[in-house]
Amino acid sequence: MNTPGEAAGATTTHRKQPNYYLIWVFLGVLTLAEIGVAFLSAIPKQVLIIILVALAVWKALLVAMYYMHLKFEPRKLWWIAAAPLPLAVILIIIVMMERW
Amino acid sequence: MSTIAVPHEAHAAGAHEHHEAIPFIRRYIFSTDHKIIGIQFLFMSLFFLLVGGLLAMAMRWQLAWPSNPDMPLPGGSVLPETMVTDGIMLPEFYNALVTMHGTIMVFFAIMPLLVGVWANYLIPLQIGAPDMAFPRLNMASFWLAVPAGLLMLASFFVVGGAANAGWTGYATLSTSEVYSGVKLGQQLWCVSLVILGFSSLIGAVNYITTLINMRAPGLTWFRLPLSTWALFVTSVLILLAVPILAGGLIMLFFDITIDTTFFRPEGGGQPLLWQHLFWFFGHPEVYILILPAMGFVSDILANGARKPIFGYHAMVWAIVGIGFIGWVVWGHHMFMSGMNPMLGGFFMVTTLIIAVPSAIKTFNWLGTVWGGNIRFHAPMLYALGFVSLFVIGGLSGIFLAAGPVDIPLHDTYFVVAHIHYVLVGGSLFGIFAAITFWYPKMFGRMMSEMLGKIHFALTFIFFNLTFFPMHMLGSGGMMRRLYDPTQYPYLQPQQDTNVFITINALLLFGTQLIFAFNFLWNLWKGKRATENPWEANSLEWSAPSPPPHGNWGGVVPIVNRGPYEYSAPEAEADYWPQTDVAAPVRAAPVSH
Amino acid sequence: MSTAAAATLDRAGSGFGVYNMKLGMWVFLLSEVMFFTGLIGAYIILRFANPDQFAQPGVVLNVPLTALNTFILICSSVTMVKAFAEIEQGNQKGLRMYLLATVILGMIFLGIQAVEYTVLTHEGFVPMSSSYDALGRDGTPPVEGGPLYGATFYTMTGFHGTHVTIGVLCMMFTTFQAFRGRYTAESHGGVEIMGLYWHFVDLVWIILFTIVYLI
Repeated sequence: MNTPGEAAGATTTHRKQPNYYLIWVFLGVLTLAEIGVAFLSAIPKQVLIIILVALAVWKALLVAMYYMHLKFEPRKLWWIAAAPLPLAVILIIIVMMERW
Repeated sequence: MSTIAVPHEAHAAGAHEHHEAIPFIRRYIFSTDHKIIGIQFLFMSLFFLLVGGLLAMAMRWQLAWPSNPDMPLPGGSVLPETMVTDGIMLPEFYNALVTMHGTIMVFFAIMPLLVGVWANYLIPLQIGAPDMAFPRLNMASFWLAVPAGLLMLASFFVVGGAANAGWTGYATLSTSEVYSGVKLGQQLWCVSLVILGFSSLIGAVNYITTLINMRAPGLTWFRLPLSTWALFVTSVLILLAVPILAGGLIMLFFDITIDTTFFRPEGGGQPLLWQHLFWFFGHPEVYILILPAMGFVSDILANGARKPIFGYHAMVWAIVGIGFIGWVVWGHHMFMSGMNPMLGGFFMVTTLIIAVPSAIKTFNWLGTVWGGNIRFHAPMLYALGFVSLFVIGGLSGIFLAAGPVDIPLHDTYFVVAHIHYVLVGGSLFGIFAAITFWYPKMFGRMMSEMLGKIHFALTFIFFNLTFFPMHMLGSGGMMRRLYDPTQYPYLQPQQDTNVFITINALLLFGTQLIFAFNFLWNLWKGKRATENPWEANSLEWSAPSPPPHGNWGGVVPIVNRGPYEYSAPEAEADYWPQTDVAAPVRAAPVSH
Repeated sequence: MSTAAAATLDRAGSGFGVYNMKLGMWVFLLSEVMFFTGLIGAYIILRFANPDQFAQPGVVLNVPLTALNTFILICSSVTMVKAFAEIEQGNQKGLRMYLLATVILGMIFLGIQAVEYTVLTHEGFVPMSSSYDALGRDGTPPVEGGPLYGATFYTMTGFHGTHVTIGVLCMMFTTFQAFRGRYTAESHGGVEIMGLYWHFVDLVWIILFTIVYLI
């Protein structure tokens, strides 16, 4: 049985709305940039990886901030959403140090 | 004395309507009431506690009288030839016992007993909510755990038998039927744990959302009982650690089933990767297994000593600190694995650091009971037992945390002693304390004080006699998961210790019959419990025993203070419930 | 039950203004982040340990087709968020149209993935070690790629695909509910949490596409 708070799903109807199509264009441009960069053999592999990951993270942040509305949510939700990230970093760094 | 006036007409009428409206199956089987779900978890996990205990008894029999035809395994004649022949168990079956004892105890007994039972039962009651945020999801959580348990039990009866690569399932033993002799059993193990993991996960989503969003008016975070705080941090650990285990189990399953090579070196796989993934989950898992018990013990000690918990804020930050630091200590399970030695140094430091918040909690427990007007009721005895036994377990942990010291101790019975002091001496005593303490609320009846005290005393004695000698066995060189210690000449002088341990283990197991009887008998025959038999302060004690659907019959509790106002100078009695109105009543002068 | 119902609304001071369903979905998505972290982390480590088993971008995997698929998924995120924007304004027709578009785009994504999988397996790109002739051990020269490439590829994209499938099924349910008029400007939590899940699935794909196809 849902609590009424949950069933109401009360949301603010007068929230500032970002320009979703503009974000879509940004995402498209970034994707094309990624594909372009990926096939540039002139760049050394390590640098390439950093650039590609940075572009991917940028796109992910755009989706999280604007499509998932995180930008307009209370700050506490930002902290909660960010919680897994340090753990992911720790896991990957430590295991990478094994470097078989 | 509660000032929550549950309108009796509304309570009775509402409850009565429900009696007629809801059929038996929806009310008790597929219930969405958090209290029923908590009790369902209780019966399920007590059953698995019994199964895990039986498996351990079989293991201990073999260790005391290894392959001894004069001491056949009791019940061995019932088991198939693939497990026991002529009363002597086969080595493969011993490995399966070791594996399944650990797996069942950790995942199907202790974890649900601490989280499935108490997060479900206590959280809404302690925060003044009528139920969880997502009651149907809660029901799904229980009904996922059941098939997971059945699959785990079923694995005993398939070709090849149950999983036998240890509860830690290390590759490449777990990935290769050629080495372990087990394929289907190991696959069932993987699938069962993935399902159970999902059950725990959706439970955690429920607990976290409920705790954040549904606290009663006036119940700020720093007015929550430590039970609630502990369950909150535990839920966060579950939320973030279980998915890593799931990922690892999936890859392990694929290695076994479709011939991938994630962890198999012949295809470029990395066995150490499994260990890292498993322990990245596994270490937060052990904090999941102890934090709730710590929370319960805090509440029970304060109640029994009639004093506020010593250093409430420090206790909260210690719980949070353990939750945080617990993510970066996992490598202390891998000191001897061949991992990068620099990591060994890192993990040693972090593991020693995490001893600090646990020590803070221990000193604060001592501070709580110091100078208290102590009531030695059964929950209090279990809680005091928890503190002493957890300290011993923590101290052996310090030895193991030091990398160089771990070299001779790793994978010996010293580790077995450590884990059982914290898991049995710690978690299980905490569970006994919690069950005895909240039984009146759950079932509306009291357990027998006398039987509780006897059970406590005998369990305490036999527990120490069983597990303390294991420290000596381990430092004397006896390895874990060892089918026949007598095959090594250097272990033969310690064989008498093994016999001693087994006898006490059997007595320890037998003692639990007292608890089982106490628990079951009093469900029907126990003295009727009042609303607040322990004269405690937290919100659950202002609801009827047992609480109706919706907990307070539609009334919203208002919270006016923290949960530890015991022996407050302004209050008449030596306790002051959170929901009582904040009118200080000058007590008569008390001579100190 | 109405008094209890009223009681639960009176939780002034609890939480920070994110209603139950939305908070619950965000919390659940955090566990999903950890799940994909485990899989992606394993891939990174295995690749570092066995670089010879993994081909350069575009050699084995079809980057142009997958780039198109990525674009399709991003478009579906746009239609999803537009659906939510429409119901915030109370526009039922807009809600239904955009939800339907999202379902269709989601199904196209899955279809293209299925085609991709079929082609790859026919070309011999499989996760099993037994299907690779030689693995470059014992001094023999390494073959193009190894079982880890397939194993990690299919595991990561396969579980993503599973999440998309679940998302499409839930989306169909949400669309069905929308056609029944179950969402209003005041009450559309179901649409919002559906959107959160769907955007998350898109987000994971953004990361996966880069890491699996472009590196």
